[in-house]
Amino acid sequence: MLKVGIVGCGKIADAHATQILRIGGCEIVGVCDREPLMARQLFERFPVKAYFSDVADLVTEARPDVIHITTPPESHFDIARFCLDHGCHVYVEKPFTIDTNRAQQLINLAEEKGLKLTAGHNLQFTHAARRLRALVAQGYLGGRPVHMESYYGYDLGNAAYVRALLGDKNHWVRRLPGKLLHNIISHGIARIAEFLTGNDIRVTVQGSTSQLLEGIGENEIVDELRVIISDSNGTTAYFTFSSQIRPLLHEFRIYGPKNGLVLDQDHEVVLRLRGSKFKSYADYFIPPVLFARQYLGELLRNAKLFMTQDFHMDAGMKALIESFYRSIRENAPVPISYREILLTSRIMGSIFDQLRQDILDEPSATRSKANSAFQGESVVIETVCR
Amino acid sequence: MNTGLTDNGSGSPGTQASRPASLDSFIIGPEDRILVTGAAGFIGSRVVESLLDRGFRNVVCLVRPSSDLARLETSIDNRPPGTGVEVLRGNLLSRADCEAASKGVAVIYHLAAGTGEKSFPDAFMNSVVTTRNLLEASAQYACLKRFVLVSSFAVYSNRQKSRQLDETCPIEAHPEHSGSAYCFAKVKQEQIVAELSKKSSIPYVVVRPGSVYGPGHTGITARVGISAFGPFLHLGGSNKVPFTYVDNCAEAVVLAGLIRGIEGEIFNVLDDDLPSSRQFLKLYKKHVRDFSSAYVPHVLSYALCYLWEKYAQYSDGQLPPAFNRRRWYAEWRRTNYTNAKLKQRLGWVPKVSSNEALRLYFKSCVQRGQHA
Repeated sequence: MLKVGIVGCGKIADAHATQILRIGGCEIVGVCDREPLMARQLFERFPVKAYFSDVADLVTEARPDVIHITTPPESHFDIARFCLDHGCHVYVEKPFTIDTNRAQQLINLAEEKGLKLTAGHNLQFTHAARRLRALVAQGYLGGRPVHMESYYGYDLGNAAYVRALLGDKNHWVRRLPGKLLHNIISHGIARIAEFLTGNDIRVTVQGSTSQLLEGIGENEIVDELRVIISDSNGTTAYFTFSSQIRPLLHEFRIYGPKNGLVLDQDHEVVLRLRGSKFKSYADYFIPPVLFARQYLGELLRNAKLFMTQDFHMDAGMKALIESFYRSIRENAPVPISYREILLTSRIMGSIFDQLRQDILDEPSATRSKANSAFQGESVVIETVCR
Repeated sequence: MNTGLTDNGSGSPGTQASRPASLDSFIIGPEDRILVTGAAGFIGSRVVESLLDRGFRNVVCLVRPSSDLARLETSIDNRPPGTGVEVLRGNLLSRADCEAASKGVAVIYHLAAGTGEKSFPDAFMNSVVTTRNLLEASAQYACLKRFVLVSSFAVYSNRQKSRQLDETCPIEAHPEHSGSAYCFAKVKQEQIVAELSKKSSIPYVVVRPGSVYGPGHTGITARVGISAFGPFLHLGGSNKVPFTYVDNCAEAVVLAGLIRGIEGEIFNVLDDDLPSSRQFLKLYKKHVRDFSSAYVPHVLSYALCYLWEKYAQYSDGQLPPAFNRRRWYAEWRRTNYTNAKLKQRLGWVPKVSSNEALRLYFKSCVQRGQHA
């Protein structure tokens, strides 16, 4: 029986506890939050053996094999290092750490201690994401990816988290180097990082504050981001983060030299894009039929998953946790490669560095100029991360 | 109730004769410091207004840094010099802010809470942790004469044998299974108030309003029905809806902080002449916006809640347990309500009749273009 602990008893800890309890062969031996009331409320709502307000007590008294860190990102590094030092495998919620240096240190420490680490890139493990990964592995693209597009829409309208963020100038999200973006974009960036093969990554960034936020006096938060990424093997990618586009896409497109694939995360659909064309007018009539057939297949697949009780909102998290626990039990490779974790961190770091130079540190008096320049005049800054 | 909704022509609440509470029956005087948390909110701003109307001149309004002060400003603007209102921006999750706000305070009206949150931890943090912080901060100063917690009808399980719901009815024993983060947070909030007040000898009173409505409020209470699945499902039928108009509710809250000899008591707040769910829906459609709705009989709504609950369990939460028997009992079981204790112990009478309150509410809905 794998003994599991959770550090940080906020909103996302609920999802972790729920999914852990759906997995056989493990039990939650303790939960911890420096606010004892928060630890207790999680303890009271889930079959958990004990609760603590100090991670040292969790580690020494409950003696978990693996610890999930679901605290605000600033604390990820210190808590993860402490847990690794005390012999625990660690699942760190996204963003993994606040910078690449710390991510590298954790990975080095885990390897030195013979322990496993993973990052909470759970959207990489949804049913649809796994189908896409399998198709790529089977060679559907016809070679190395040529280009990718990752869209991540974010609704500022109803989220309690955003209300708390906007209302509290001391909110932990504002203290992150990339502020709001830092806490969210890893899902969309990790999709790209997984398929980049070259070592030298070039990142070009444009970011701005939407008129919606500006209208309520919010000038520090960048909620419109466009990124161009390329690697030394010639693979390129676009990343779009937006609070304003509708529909709010969560989509990933990957194109190879032969075919392409589309992952529509919102509808749990994967579409195959044929590279070859039909002759003459047939190309107007046959592909729509083939697309309809694909959509029907996806509908039936989703319906089957639902009927077999395997279509939960956090199915990706369950799959990631299961895979991570399997890697611990069987000493198998971790579900997310350390290269992918580091590359995601490096790309995000590069984005935030550029935004700091270009926008985040810019006096608010000149911000409007930058925003208007976003229509077509802004200066683009490039960085190369190695 | 009269469903004619006649306009009294004033555009302002029609007041009924109310029994004036004597200053002698109050535990504090006009100069004593009063703290209102959530003062920029729907009820809080009216509580501040009511306190000022009663001549209290040392009212501290604690509001979130992000709060829109429009409602509060409406309540405190155009007051004569020396009215004595202080607006503090702060966060109840900060112990320092709690200490600053509660210093020298004789009565605390605690209205701030996590509302509208689906996350249990978020609702808990913004209702329970904040309440703990405020109570512990205020306990440092030995001047607090009463802590008034504004809770909710959401805490009742409503599974008593009688159809009558009053203050003696049991609260939800397992709010963690209610499917409602708000219910969970409110039950836990009441528990921590009872626990810490006993420990620190803080006199407290709990006020449980029903469905508070009035200008500035949005939507139709789920006790009437829901539109979560597209068409509006009318679930209340002939049930009385435990409405309380915001001004009437604020009056009850204010009295709960002032009247002597009610320490440890609980008061349900609801108006007289309550409309049935069917009556309310009919009036809403007539005066605000017409839309199609489908009545779901109680037997059927119970069966659907039962099936949803069982499927949520069977599927390990593939469907969240948003509908279950606990919720059905709490919101859709046919229930009779009473405000007798509120009237007897606090001398409360509704300032605004239900007929007039509904008219004002529908008028504001039309003006704001708010729809179900």
